[in-house]
This record gives sequence, C-alpha cells and structure tokens, in this order.
Amino acid sequence: MSGVDARQAAQALSEIDAIVRRVRQSRIYDIASLMLIQWGGLVVAGYLGGYFWPRAAGWLWVAVNAVGVAGSFAIGAVVRRRTGAGAFDPRVPLALLLFFAFGYLTCVFGAFGPRELGAFWPIYFMLVYTIAGLWVGSAFVAIGLGITALTLLGYVFAGVWFEPWMAVVNGGGLVLGGLWMRRD
Amino acid sequence: MAEFDDIIHQPLRLKIMAALNALPAAQGLEFARLKKLTGATDGNLGAHIETLAKAGYVAVDKAFVGKKPQTTVTATADGRGAFARHVATLREIIAGAGPDGG
Repeated sequence: MSGVDARQAAQALSEIDAIVRRVRQSRIYDIASLMLIQWGGLVVAGYLGGYFWPRAAGWLWVAVNAVGVAGSFAIGAVVRRRTGAGAFDPRVPLALLLFFAFGYLTCVFGAFGPRELGAFWPIYFMLVYTIAGLWVGSAFVAIGLGITALTLLGYVFAGVWFEPWMAVVNGGGLVLGGLWMRRD
Repeated sequence: MAEFDDIIHQPLRLKIMAALNALPAAQGLEFARLKKLTGATDGNLGAHIETLAKAGYVAVDKAFVGKKPQTTVTATADGRGAFARHVATLREIIAGAGPDGG
C-alpha cells in the first residue's frame, strides 16, 4: 500500500509536469542561444558594413542572411547530433522561405528606403521571436519586445547614427540575449 | 495493476527521474544542470543520485572535460520503465479517487 492519496498523487504529477517543461525549455534555450549569438554577430557586421559602405549595403545584407540561415542549419545539425534529438524537420526551411518571402514582398510593396529597411527587418524578426516566446519561454518575449522598442527609438531619434545604434541594440541585444540564455 | 515505487516517489528523486525521462534515451544531464533544474544542494542531490544509482535507475558517468571534472547522470532502461510504472500508479490513484478527488 502506498499511503499516497489522490491529492498527493496529483501534486506529484504536477511536479513532474513542471520539471519536464523546464527541461524542454532548457533544451530549446540551448540551441536558440547559439543561433542568437551567431545572428547577433552577423547583424553587427551588417549594420556597421552598411554604415561605412552604404553602396554595398544591399549585397551585404543578402550575404548576412545567407550566412545566418546556413549557420542556423549547421548549429541545428550539430546540436541534433550531440543530443540525439529528432530528425531534421523539412518544415523549418519552408517556414524560413515563407518568412523571407513575406518580408521581401512587404518591402517591395512598401517601397521602403534604407532606414525603413533597417528598422523593418529586425522588428519583423522580433515579432516571430515574441510570438514563439509565448509558447517556448519568456526570454524570447523579453528579447523580442526589448529589441523592437529600441529599434523604434533609434528609427525616430538616432538620426545619422541609426545604423551604429542598430548594430549595438539589435546585434548586441541578440548576443546578450543568447548569453543570458546560457548563463547556467 | 501498476506499482508504487517508494524509491522514485521521494520528492527530489521524483524530480531527478522526471528530468532525465524528459530527455531522449541515452542522453544524460550534467550534475550542475540537474542541480539548477531541481533546485537541490550539491550534497542532497549527490545522495539521492546515489540512491537511484544503487537501485539501477540511473547511470553516473564521471569524466574530465578539459581540466574540469564533469558528472553526467542518465536514466537507465530499468529506470525509465520504473518511472513510467510509477506515473501510471499515480494516475490510477487519482482515477480511483473519483471526480471529486476524495
């Protein structure tokens, strides 16, 4: 006889659920933090490159996104191999394709200038982070909303320093967010 | 009939087994990560891991990563089975109590 009543059994199951949620969140943070740090470094390079060589900014950002996507897949593959996690999910590249296609169309139809482009993409990225964070962890929500707010501040007030500002708050914010996720 | 497992049911050991069972088979958790997840102290966690290891529910692997010692704890097949049976028992207790849980 266990001597455990229904209330105690329910409490034990509730504790199990809580721990399982924390382990899953920890595994998501593990992979997401590496991606955030990678994207943060690339974004710093993209904004500073655009500031110092504005005529090359378009191609620079194409390169930043290509390297970022390739790097994200590489990180995913390494972590999957290290942890024995599930197989590659073909919906991921499809989701990325839809994400970039919608963003590109928005920029074309919106006839954005360089400054608007510099503000639109990080806000668009952070929208996805924030929405994902509602399910996978509050760190994503904090990073998403924080960088969105700082981007809007820079768009309105940073003047000619907009790109260096974005290098710090967007690139730096992603790196710091990634490091924060790995703090333990 | 599922079986109640007194070794697993102790609160900290229940958390340890729940955490390890949330991982794919053969993947373990480092001691420091397990400590953070369960909120236990070093000594307490070490003692309960030893109890689980003696029961054959977890395997403990000690290795050096660079110059730092690293302890990794993994749920064994026996441990996963025992945990699943224990969870089933808890559910039976709740189901047996009826809708008002009394």
